[in-house]
Amino acid sequence: MKNLYIMGSAGSGKTAMAVGLALKFKQEGLKVAYFKPVSQGYEDATLMKELLNMSAPLEVISPTTASPFYLSRGNRSAEILATIKNAYEEVSRGVDIVIIDSAIFPHIMGTLGLDAPSLALELKAQALYLINIKNDYSLDQSIFFNQYIQNKGVPLLGNIFTHVPRPIQAKIEGVYKPLLDEMGFRTLGIIPRVRELSNPSVAQVYELLGGELLTGEANLDLLVEDIMVGAMTIESALGHMRRANNKMFITGGDRADMALAALETSTSCIILTGGLYPDVKVISRAVEKGVPVILVHFDTYHAIERLSELSGRITASHKESIQKALENVERYCDWQSIISSLA
Amino acid sequence: MADLTPLFHPNSVAIVGASNKPDKIGNVIVRNVIDCGFSGKIYPINPKEPKIAGLPCYPSLVEVPDKIDLAIITVPAKACLDVMEDCGKTNIKHVIVITAGFKEVGPEGLELEKKLLFICKKYGIRMVGPNCVGIMDTHTPLNATFAVGFPLQGDIAFISQSGAMLVSIMDWSKTIGLGFSRVFSLGNKADLNEADFINAIADDPLSKVILCYIEDVHNGKHFLEVVSKAARKKPVIILKSGTSQAGAQAASSHTGALAGSDLAYETAFTQAGIVRARTMTELFDLATCFSYQPLPKGDRVAIVTNAGGPGIVASDTIENTGLSMARFEKETLDALRAYLPTEANIYNPVDVIGDAKADRYSFALEAVLKDPYVDSVVVMVCPTAVTDPEAIAEEVIRLHQKYPEKPILTSYIGGVSLAKGAQRLSQAKIPVFTFPEPAIQAIAGMVNYTRRIDSGAEGEAIRFDDVDRNKVKAIFYDVIRDRRSVLLGSEAAAVAEAYKISAAPVRLATSPDEAVNLSLEMGYPVVLKVASPKIMHKTDVGGVKIGLNNEQEVRDAFIEIMENVQRYLPNVIPYGIEISKMMPKGTELIVGMTRDMQFGPLIAFGLGGIYVNLLKDVSFRLARGITHGEIAAMIAETKAATLLRGYRGDKPADMLSIIDMVARAAQLILDFEEISEMDINPVFAYPDGYSALDIKITIEI
Repeated sequence: MKNLYIMGSAGSGKTAMAVGLALKFKQEGLKVAYFKPVSQGYEDATLMKELLNMSAPLEVISPTTASPFYLSRGNRSAEILATIKNAYEEVSRGVDIVIIDSAIFPHIMGTLGLDAPSLALELKAQALYLINIKNDYSLDQSIFFNQYIQNKGVPLLGNIFTHVPRPIQAKIEGVYKPLLDEMGFRTLGIIPRVRELSNPSVAQVYELLGGELLTGEANLDLLVEDIMVGAMTIESALGHMRRANNKMFITGGDRADMALAALETSTSCIILTGGLYPDVKVISRAVEKGVPVILVHFDTYHAIERLSELSGRITASHKESIQKALENVERYCDWQSIISSLA
Repeated sequence: MADLTPLFHPNSVAIVGASNKPDKIGNVIVRNVIDCGFSGKIYPINPKEPKIAGLPCYPSLVEVPDKIDLAIITVPAKACLDVMEDCGKTNIKHVIVITAGFKEVGPEGLELEKKLLFICKKYGIRMVGPNCVGIMDTHTPLNATFAVGFPLQGDIAFISQSGAMLVSIMDWSKTIGLGFSRVFSLGNKADLNEADFINAIADDPLSKVILCYIEDVHNGKHFLEVVSKAARKKPVIILKSGTSQAGAQAASSHTGALAGSDLAYETAFTQAGIVRARTMTELFDLATCFSYQPLPKGDRVAIVTNAGGPGIVASDTIENTGLSMARFEKETLDALRAYLPTEANIYNPVDVIGDAKADRYSFALEAVLKDPYVDSVVVMVCPTAVTDPEAIAEEVIRLHQKYPEKPILTSYIGGVSLAKGAQRLSQAKIPVFTFPEPAIQAIAGMVNYTRRIDSGAEGEAIRFDDVDRNKVKAIFYDVIRDRRSVLLGSEAAAVAEAYKISAAPVRLATSPDEAVNLSLEMGYPVVLKVASPKIMHKTDVGGVKIGLNNEQEVRDAFIEIMENVQRYLPNVIPYGIEISKMMPKGTELIVGMTRDMQFGPLIAFGLGGIYVNLLKDVSFRLARGITHGEIAAMIAETKAATLLRGYRGDKPADMLSIIDMVARAAQLILDFEEISEMDINPVFAYPDGYSALDIKITIEI
């Protein structure tokens, strides 16, 4: 039995990669299981359990959680490790490959020696590190992690660039990939940005921000591709609004003019801040346009701060994104090498 | 367009929701219809009453034995749908819905309004309102409103989006003796809107002036078509509120409509020949003057005054409002010199001096009225010991009857001692103001209207057959597939090229090596600019390097730009760097376009470069139907035109090629509705031709 540990930072597309690889392995006739030793909830476990028809219960697929205050519970290192190992035994029984998904960052629970590379060593897994590239610093960070993984003694299969914006593609091919090659790190894939996988839905925004949904219950699956704050004069705002497609538009509840202008341009949802209920006309227009309007009781700055945690997420019901995840693996990744390296 | 005659001249009226209780709107309307002297049949409808205001009452419209031309509905919002169904079944084609509680109260109200409109469409019913005060016609007469009282008969038609303003104005108008022909309250404009009413009044012989108060326009394109035609038949004066930032905010939350920009309204109104009033006072000053006096043939104003100071103030105002002081012919001056005292001023402003009585005013006024170089006259009176304001008023009235083709306006500067004279003038339909400025502004409004109507619509609308639409379509297709709204500079340059707008070639480089190769191909010196749809002002983020002369400079510039952008906008990933040939300096111009929510594409021309926003030397036109003549006029309005003609010994620029460029840009945005904004800045104008250096195009996906 083989273990593949997928690591990467928040928003690097670990779950999408797990979905794509799992489905591909299955197509190749392999028995696949999914394991997420450290999580913050059961969303990913729920998704994979359904996708892979796993019999193990959720609390076994995803046995431990790490909140940002987990250390307050004291050092339970040995206990947690034992739980993880027991769960792993159960999940891996009778399968060919276990795909192990790391916590939102590879360093989570490093204080207890339970960071992703340490767990990979314990579970005898090989690592695949995903790179979400923004600029040269992102590459520095990836090499830092690559080297850490190797120094821990975990075999590193290589790297995959995920959510790659089109303008960077050329630079990856021409600059980043050769540099990684030189250092002995294999590039196993360059996956272009796909909106279904990289953009969050309005439902996720609503879940994250809370507040009141004033209208648009039926359209919570709209995707958010851009974020814009409306605090300028209406005449200058329109130019900006027209440039941002499928945007989440954030403005004060008392800015009826702003909200109405946003509704005339491409908008996925409107966030009204400050707990100010909008004019009924705004709601009427939003109902007509089918755009969700969410009222939150904190200010715009606070809303933006919370939204920084936002990234795209796959759910089992979203067939399109699952299909995209598989397609990405098939078209842009050297999955054959991944399988043969594991063997 | 539908014939709305039965709205104003119905033979029979039904009031649904009529009531016997004096405090109910349903009772006020019945009484208003009766009290105004309506001569047709009146049918109150109420299932609980046998009689209302002495008239037999019917339980429903269906029970009325005769044909009904007009139904007025005042029942609660939820009951309106059934009543409207009844209107349809009984073949009533015109309905006024007074009831509130529709679109203006929120989504449920909107739903109800849509249903109401659906029933109207089903039966071919034309509806006024809902949420309105109603309509009036003083000639029929018909008062189908719940307003207090009925206005005097006159020739002003008034359309108001605000019911409250309408009611107040009707009340006020009687104090100054102002009369109306027809009055409309627009309400929510679910079916009939301002354009329908303007169209209906345009052909009404009893209305001389159309007056509007509006907060928004229902459909910009339709509105312009209708009003442009109407304005050629009679003056259309509009007060459009919500012009300021605060006002627009108030208007959008009041009407639920996003206001088009004030600039677009201004441009559209001017092009349609609408006289725009800025204040309520101005609206009614203009209405009075247009209604009472003939239109001046030109802009030359004569002043007859008995005091020097106010005469000078009036002269200043004449110049400041774009009018000119009339210069009298010799005969006039000779006559004035012979008759007036030596200390009088015979030149304009004519000062008949403080001891002037009615006879001297009469002589001077007749002299200037006879002068062929005078288009309008302002008579000013200050009270002195010998002044006889009533006798002067009689002379002004007499002379206006003798010379009815020249407008006379008066300014009676005073209070108690002039009141009777002023009142006499007002009764005789001579506009009388206390101070001269509003009189002169009213003349300016009349002159501008005449000018616009006379000059309008010469030349053919632009049309080019040598443009490559398919190429532009292909470029847009690629941009949309890339899920972008903003074209890269290289794409925008290709679009311009397809429309034969001569643009400096632009190529996209994704690496320093590519940049160097492209620079060699184009030839030094070159310009490097960051390529990113997210960056609106490239210079501000250090995204532009000009005058690069060799490989090393291009290489350094490439990396420097990338670093600058990363520093200012860490989340923006540029598509690369655009290389273009450095063009020789010319007169810097801007040609811009923005698509207004209401009126469609608006084209701008002016002085270009980075100081555009500071200098604001820009003129605007609506692109739709624009002619080469309009473009030339638009260019002539700017200071840039002076530069283009060759300022201080510079060679004049190639004006024809610039007009051609603006026309082609207009054609482009008219051909492609998906273009929401376009900015060509700068354009360098040369003595032979021009070059568009930087083009930005935003499209709607």
